[in-house]
Amino acid sequence: MLKMVFSTIMLLPMTWFSKNNMIWINLTTHGLIISLIPLLFFNQTNSNLINCSAHLSSDPLTTPLLMLTAWLLPLMIMASQYHLHNESPSRKKLYLSMMIFLQISLIMTFMATELILFYILFETTLIPTLIIITRWGIQAERLNAGTYFLFYTLTGSLPLLIMLLYIYNDLGSLNIMFLTLTAQKLTSTWSHNLLWLACMMAFMVKMPLYGLHLWLPKAHVEAPIAGSMVLAAVLLKLGGYGMMRLTPILDPLTEYMAYPFLMLSLWGMIMTSSICLRQTDLKSLIAYSSVSHMALVIVASLIQTPWSFTGAIILMIAHGLTSSMLFCLANSNYERTHSRIMMLSRGLQTLLPLMAFWWFMANLTNLALPPTINLMGELLVVTTSFSWSHITIMFTGLNMLITALYSLHMYITTQRGPLTHHITNIKPSFTRENMLMFMHLSPIILLSLNPSIIMGLTP
Amino acid sequence: MSFSNYKSSRLAALPSTLDPAEYDTSPETRRAQAERLATRARLKREYLLQYNNPSRRGLIENPALLRRTYARTTNVYPNFRPTPKNSLMGALFGIGPLIFLYSRCK
Repeated sequence: MLKMVFSTIMLLPMTWFSKNNMIWINLTTHGLIISLIPLLFFNQTNSNLINCSAHLSSDPLTTPLLMLTAWLLPLMIMASQYHLHNESPSRKKLYLSMMIFLQISLIMTFMATELILFYILFETTLIPTLIIITRWGIQAERLNAGTYFLFYTLTGSLPLLIMLLYIYNDLGSLNIMFLTLTAQKLTSTWSHNLLWLACMMAFMVKMPLYGLHLWLPKAHVEAPIAGSMVLAAVLLKLGGYGMMRLTPILDPLTEYMAYPFLMLSLWGMIMTSSICLRQTDLKSLIAYSSVSHMALVIVASLIQTPWSFTGAIILMIAHGLTSSMLFCLANSNYERTHSRIMMLSRGLQTLLPLMAFWWFMANLTNLALPPTINLMGELLVVTTSFSWSHITIMFTGLNMLITALYSLHMYITTQRGPLTHHITNIKPSFTRENMLMFMHLSPIILLSLNPSIIMGLTP
Repeated sequence: MSFSNYKSSRLAALPSTLDPAEYDTSPETRRAQAERLATRARLKREYLLQYNNPSRRGLIENPALLRRTYARTTNVYPNFRPTPKNSLMGALFGIGPLIFLYSRCK
């Protein structure tokens, strides 16, 4: 564990002291080496925590997310090379420092043993993300986007702080291992209902839940590529992770308190998927598809059966990789046409055939094609929600249909059909871009061969 | 001879030479048609100038497309006003299913 945290902290001096032409090489290489370390955590024979220290630990719920986070840093660095190449070296280094700072907070968030440490780092991840969005985004709407992002998340998470302090006072410790052992069952009094709400709202905003999702399309669209990647892949999963940590202690109330959120998620899946069909902006489409997939994770986390937790974890990992890959693809289009409008970059298969292959694979995994892990996750979630209540299959089934529709719509619009005649400057795909897509896709394929390592607490 | 029996259909518009309204139009209509033709021709000339310019390195910006995209994505809420149709759609698709689901799943 120290191998990871200290190495990532040391990436910061390496950024600032590297020679200007060696920054990217150094950071990408060292990021890739650091990403090999969570692989050591995967060999767990039981669901006890691998206790790395008094404050940081790693258990089967955490490890896949940790692996995702660590894997994503070199990918973010590779993706940002193009849009930063005209900036001054100190600005480049500042951007990379923001990403590394975010990475440190994320690694420690996923490994935190105490919930208060988790909360502090949860809030800490907001700051570098805000800086990345508002300073390096491209349009004027990024300020609005940053404001929405920051204040939605903060408003949701302040009640969580109060509740965590109250629970700490009550139980004596917020260590994850002790939490289930010392927690007392909640009664259905008004104050306990508010406790449940306060604990869950932070993660509902982060996931995001359908009614509170307004920050997500703005933040994803206005962020630069690394910001979009990390937002879609990891920061949304913080919400899911938090929910899965807190639901064991919120036990009997969840049966009836979860209904509004379940309804919002079930209907929200369909609404956001349908909105995807009407989007002109490519990044906005991918952002709304993130909301739709995360709604499935919310449904799974609130039902609280073992299979649904497994489905939620697999879906989180799969969606992280897929969404990040889609954002990288959208960014490769953006770098060439400087516009996010889907119609402007159509018919690309004739020009960039290898990139068409990556688009194809990304859209197939997005629509949860068997045997990818996306399907594993969605199948488990659909099955468990069906066993919870028969009517949910209408919504989850319809959602899978509409997901397939908009994924194929995205693919056909950008790849098939005639080329736009007036765009003459589409550069061929860089090796860096192909490498990026391959590095996104290969974990998905490898994990499809052995999904038991990401199946979480109950394999 | 009377006008032909050609009727327009969904995919084939009536050509202007078969449209009886083409032959007795007023000067104002003619002037409006000329203005529209002038605008179209000006836009087409600008487009063709950029399209055939050998030293052009990027895409041709279409201001109408940009305005439309901006209006569809970012400018929706400032121009929103609750109307009966809007409120009905919101209640039907936004709140109705939640209540329906809640009653079914309870």
